[in-house]
Amino acid sequence: MSNYIPTVGIEVHCELKTNTKIFSNSINGYGQMANSLTNVVDLGYPGTLPTLNKEVLNLAIKAALVLNCKIRRQMHFDRKNYFYPDNPKNYQITQAETPIGYDGYVEIEVNGKKKKIEIEEMHIEEDTCKSTHRGTKTLLDFNRAGVPLIEIVTKPCMESGEEAKLYLEKLRELLFYSDVSDCKIEEGSMRADANVSIRKKESDPFGTKAEIKNIGSISNVKLSIDKEIERQANLYDNGETFLPQTRRFDSKLNDTVLMRVKETGNDYRYFPEPDIPYVYVTEEQIDEVRKTIPMLPEERRKKYIELGISEVNAKKLVGHRTLSDYLNELLEEKIDFKTAANLLLGDISAYLNKNETEITKTKLTKEKFMELTNNISDGTLTSKNLKEILDMVMESDKSIAEIVKEAGIQNITDNSAITDMIKKIINENPESVADYKAGKDRAIKYLMGQVMKESKGSINPSMAMDILKEELK
Amino acid sequence: MKYLDKTIEEIHASLKKKEIKPIDLVEEAFTRIEEDKELNAYITLNKEEAIKRAQELEAKEVGDNLLFGLPIAVKDNILTKDLRTTCASHILDNFIPIYNATVVEKINENDMIIIGKTNMDEFAMGSSSRTSYFGAPKNPWNKEKISGGSSGGSATTISAREVLFALGTDTGGSIRQPASYTGIVGMKPTYGRVSRYGIVAFASSLDQVGPMTKNVYENALLLNVIAGPDDKDLTSANKEKEDFTRKIGKDIKGMKIALPNYFMSDIVTEEIRNEVEKTKKLLEENGATVDYVDMKYLDKAVTLYQIIAMGEASSNLARFDGIRYGYSTDNPKDIEDLYLETRKNGFGKEVKRRIMVGSYLLSGENAKIYYNKALSIRDDMKKEFDRIFKDYDLIIGPTTTTTAYDLTDPMDDPSKSFMDDVLVIPVNMAGLPGLSLPIGFGKNHMPIGLHIIGNSFEEATIYQLASFLEKKLNLELNPRKDDENV
Repeated sequence: MSNYIPTVGIEVHCELKTNTKIFSNSINGYGQMANSLTNVVDLGYPGTLPTLNKEVLNLAIKAALVLNCKIRRQMHFDRKNYFYPDNPKNYQITQAETPIGYDGYVEIEVNGKKKKIEIEEMHIEEDTCKSTHRGTKTLLDFNRAGVPLIEIVTKPCMESGEEAKLYLEKLRELLFYSDVSDCKIEEGSMRADANVSIRKKESDPFGTKAEIKNIGSISNVKLSIDKEIERQANLYDNGETFLPQTRRFDSKLNDTVLMRVKETGNDYRYFPEPDIPYVYVTEEQIDEVRKTIPMLPEERRKKYIELGISEVNAKKLVGHRTLSDYLNELLEEKIDFKTAANLLLGDISAYLNKNETEITKTKLTKEKFMELTNNISDGTLTSKNLKEILDMVMESDKSIAEIVKEAGIQNITDNSAITDMIKKIINENPESVADYKAGKDRAIKYLMGQVMKESKGSINPSMAMDILKEELK
Repeated sequence: MKYLDKTIEEIHASLKKKEIKPIDLVEEAFTRIEEDKELNAYITLNKEEAIKRAQELEAKEVGDNLLFGLPIAVKDNILTKDLRTTCASHILDNFIPIYNATVVEKINENDMIIIGKTNMDEFAMGSSSRTSYFGAPKNPWNKEKISGGSSGGSATTISAREVLFALGTDTGGSIRQPASYTGIVGMKPTYGRVSRYGIVAFASSLDQVGPMTKNVYENALLLNVIAGPDDKDLTSANKEKEDFTRKIGKDIKGMKIALPNYFMSDIVTEEIRNEVEKTKKLLEENGATVDYVDMKYLDKAVTLYQIIAMGEASSNLARFDGIRYGYSTDNPKDIEDLYLETRKNGFGKEVKRRIMVGSYLLSGENAKIYYNKALSIRDDMKKEFDRIFKDYDLIIGPTTTTTAYDLTDPMDDPSKSFMDDVLVIPVNMAGLPGLSLPIGFGKNHMPIGLHIIGNSFEEATIYQLASFLEKKLNLELNPRKDDENV
């Protein structure tokens, strides 16, 4: 295969997290009985007119802000006319001419280098209904018809499947964290199409384009782009050409498959939607929306690392929105954040997973969590202690002190008692002591294990270690 | 029984004194409609439901609502729950709506009784109601003549005194032109004055519902009922409630009226121009000034209308695809076949022509060349009206270029039907209110209408002038009486 420069552009459709649909007051919901969340407007019934959900505008402004887009102050909607059974009016209301957001970017890091993925435009539109093909029949579920979407279109500025993947991960994180969308690809609330072409040199015009539609996961986006680049390269290498086309990713074949060849450009007969007057966005409205943007992932990671949390744990926390939000409420407190992060990602996460619940639904108040963190970090409680009382901590209204007392945990904090115990262990294990003195580091771990066993886990390991080292001198 | 020839005040008094009941009016309406069957004013009658409703109203206090218990006819592109709404098209001839248009809700709230759904041009596309799938209605003044269109059925039933009230819709003259042809009063209110929710859209940026009645006062009363903002229609205007009858009876002394030269050019027949001239003199004798004025763009209105209305219509009518409601072809081979056969058989010739032309106008770069350009010239036309209204209270002219023509006149010239509306279309373009008032008769005793145009939301001033002329002219406008006299 010769060397080619691939060019990739991504279009993402993202469902907005509103209570109701964009142009009607039907509920915006997923997983309900087919056609139970519809009304005459969603069905494109004669005589119906669209209304405009204000929530949609605010969420779109928010999305534009987090994607660093410029925001249009005066805009209208347009009709995109095409016949398809999933399109109840046989036109879709969208923004072709005056997208709400434009000239934005998302920053990714490719092989340690930062790269801005430029966003051409971002517009508001309505979702179509969902069609399911059963044999010769097609079933239509209008619950999705009229669900608000934003479509985010990048410039053709990516060069690999990997970049596309990083862009989508970043995009999903941003939209999810700003509460614009729940970004569930498997439920179709985030959908990506990729445009792929290749060329020999930067100075060449763009090659013939293939569009890969509705890819079901971010990893498949990467895979399908890489496969498509390979396919196109093979064709060119063999002296062949191809027509602009639409392909889809087949997850069974792990490859893209031809859907249709685009013979001529689609003629959607766009024109301004006469049923919706011009929409005006004011500075005040943008400022109001800006105030509702929570701390975004990048900033969170940075903050956590500043507070002494490891880079790995900082990333893990950001990957777990509810835990990150929980921790964010404590950022002003004087606690040991390293311990706090360990607690959240360790025992507490295990508890939450086991019980299939969320931290906000447990009895772990902020005060209790801080008390717990302090107790662990100053050695008052050991991790073994924590395991014993964790269920109580998460499920009862009692304070940590009360729980500890009830559980009868009496840790040996008396130095002389610990020293006695350690002396005993040293006497009982002369070989290990000899090994240690001979420079075998592993021996001390064994001895430490014996100490913990003897104390039944009721002493602070770091304190015990210090004494052990002292005694071995 | 001749209640329906009486004025609304007389009927109201009788209802209040319990000399008559709503059922008497309903029965008389149906008797007349039955007698006049050949007028073909209705597509669907609501007999059973109307009688039931009249009986229900007997238990209710008449009160001060002048419209209480009165029969009304509704154009068949206005959705009526549980009552067939066809748009005079085969594609909807089995369509029973599951909700009411906002105007219908308002009619019901005001205890009016819907008598039936009136005939019209298919999807309101036409100017003689002859594109109706159900055949054209006939003009009560001469059954050989058209009643105009597209609200031809509503005009016919009012003119024939079958009911007191009717609703029409006006996209490019469809209330005012048939009103003029049949000798009744028809008002197209300011765009946004009346909710369009539940009106089967033809050209969304132009469509407007309006009242059609035998006199000015009753017209204003019906507008009182149907006007007002509606959350379901973003293009409805947020105007406070007003009484449109409030200026009726007021003197017109000092009123400044413009008469555009274009409206009196030789596109209009001499007899009509003469009637307008006579009206001009009458107004001047009574203290108003009437000035001839030049106005730009008026001659461009029909072209703009064709582009905008057909473009929008091609999109609005796309939803009739045989999938969710209405006529659907049997055993289609595939989805393409379902679309093609349903729309081929379901739509009539004129509708198909307009969808095709409209699709072409929006196709590719054409949208910019035609539609967007038309919208921008339309803004200029609005500004031209604004310029006139800086100096004048109202604009007048003839409503139509001729009186009603023969039902048998050829229909093979598609641009002819647009030219029928050359004088009324500018008003839709500018979103202004306009009313047609009978001011006389032509040599064949067919009615002639005066077109009164107001500034935005100045319907009350239009009614003021119209009622003044109505009183002064005191014409016999009941074709039934005319029959008796002849």
